[in-house]
Amino acid sequence: MNLRIAWRNIWRNKKRSLITISSVVLAVVLATFTRSFQEGTYELMIENAIGKFSGYVQVHQKDYWEDKSLDNGMELSDSLIRTILSTQNVEGVNIRIESFSLASNKNNTKGTLVMGIEPKKEDSLIDLSNKIIKGAYFNKHDKGILIGSKLAQYLELDVGDSLVLMGQGHWGNTAVGIFPVKGIVKMPAPNIDRQIVFMPLKTAQEYFSFPNGATSLVIKFKDADLTQKICNRLNSRLDTTQYKAMSWQKMSPEMLQQIQSDRISGIMMLNILYMIIAFGIFGTVLMMTEERKREFAMMIAIGMQKTKLAIITLYEALIMNSLGIIIGIGLSIPLVVYYHYYPIEMSGEMAKSIEKFGMEPVLPTMISFKIILKQALTVLIITIVAAAYPLWSILKLNVIKGLRR
Amino acid sequence: MSIIQIESLKKTYRETEVEVHAVNGIDLSFEAGEFAAIVGPSGSGKTTLLNLIGGLDSPTEGKIVINNTNISNLSASQIIDFRLWNIGFVFQAYNLIPVLTAKENVEFIMHLQGRKKQEREQRTKDLLTSVGLGNRLNSRPSQLSGGQQQRVAVARALASKPKFVLADEPTANLDSKSTENLLDIMEKLNREENITFIFSTHDARVVKKAHRVITIEDGKVVSDERK
Repeated sequence: MNLRIAWRNIWRNKKRSLITISSVVLAVVLATFTRSFQEGTYELMIENAIGKFSGYVQVHQKDYWEDKSLDNGMELSDSLIRTILSTQNVEGVNIRIESFSLASNKNNTKGTLVMGIEPKKEDSLIDLSNKIIKGAYFNKHDKGILIGSKLAQYLELDVGDSLVLMGQGHWGNTAVGIFPVKGIVKMPAPNIDRQIVFMPLKTAQEYFSFPNGATSLVIKFKDADLTQKICNRLNSRLDTTQYKAMSWQKMSPEMLQQIQSDRISGIMMLNILYMIIAFGIFGTVLMMTEERKREFAMMIAIGMQKTKLAIITLYEALIMNSLGIIIGIGLSIPLVVYYHYYPIEMSGEMAKSIEKFGMEPVLPTMISFKIILKQALTVLIITIVAAAYPLWSILKLNVIKGLRR
Repeated sequence: MSIIQIESLKKTYRETEVEVHAVNGIDLSFEAGEFAAIVGPSGSGKTTLLNLIGGLDSPTEGKIVINNTNISNLSASQIIDFRLWNIGFVFQAYNLIPVLTAKENVEFIMHLQGRKKQEREQRTKDLLTSVGLGNRLNSRPSQLSGGQQQRVAVARALASKPKFVLADEPTANLDSKSTENLLDIMEKLNREENITFIFSTHDARVVKKAHRVITIEDGKVVSDERK
């Protein structure tokens, strides 16, 4: 009976109930959409700069990260690689040697990041062969290099041209070399695309005069959520007087901070949206309560306990808002999925300013049931808080005054 | 045997600086099966007296004992339960639940009492038939005339099997025909089923039908006539 009364009360003023339900739907869709875009952008940023470039966890020589010099690089050993590979959840190790060098062609010179990689293994991590827009991928015996498309553009280089590199090698040696451009790659993160030079590991070790040397070991594993766990496991197994495993959050604190501050501003905007919605729902609930005080008083007069009446009113709020939340979730899911696979592509000045921050100028959504559920729950809590007024009003209702209305 | 015993009852309202003695020392008792009307001019205190008897308001002084229970001693929650099981109400403005049908309105009170479905349905049907609405079970209040709504309200008041029914100006919003009809129904229920009715009214037609007329002025009983 209580549910029947609640259900019919909702539909006694169809227009108002539909407006309330619509506002809840809008709240869920807007909140989910906003958060999904925000988290999707971070996800892409992390994926481009971390997942598909530096890796979520790296192992270095103990002091390397504080002073990224080849002199702080490590001598590779089988036991080190074996220890890492035998750590739980670790699926592979990519050896890298990297340092900065000056790159010249014709009258153009630019500082570049020279990265020596294992071509086959690295391809499975950063999918480099698919990023080639001109030329071909290299193998481990190649002397040729791959360069970022923006760097190629700046240095006016094309496939088949030669690039002069000059920098500092291991233990103060001068690193100099002329390398043929075998391919041009388009890296998704523009700041990397502007400065990257890839060469096979062996070629790089020779260039840097550091045979069997490396600066970082990229740890491969499937679930990015395990980053911290794997990092801790490695540190507990390695000789920490010599080596150090670092998570991407420690290696790129500026990115983490950027994400965190952006996330806070996004959440603040979302809170404003929540407040607007809360007041809208509260307004409706207030009207519904005020115009039914006489009815409430009559029901109490004939013998209905105030708590039972309060439950009916709570049912009304819950049914109405749950309907809104379910419809909201139903509309959000296809929208989120669509924009995940077909992200909004930014253009013009907006795209340029986003690229300046080293990000890809696209806005994808993140497919996460957690986000949808969180927004739906938040809206549900708001509606329950808004429903507190009629509950309070019923518990405080003076029957005589109510009947006189 | 009296079912309602009222002793030295007073109700004083304080409006700004002025005290209003709505009920100013009333002693009354009602026997089972009475058909009594409380009359008096506007502001005489008859509705306040009815509200006090119904436990909707609490007295400033004095006591009301219903079936050996001093209702002034009951807590807010206990008094609601007491009303549910002992008192039927008929209001001037019908006060039916607009989203429920006639049948559901009558059944509602038995639902609050926790009566079984079968009993609820049978009693609802019987009561609505006895007030002449056996063919309007599924009509909502908005589909019924004022007179019909008030008859549903009478059926609802009786549904809980109360000790007595309090009716506050039940005919105030009804035309002559509906008033006559309603009074006939209530008188029949009183006569045949010994149900106690206590009215507050201005209506001469109600006074004419009543077996006992209590006149109140300035919160005091000025006459108490039995016919």
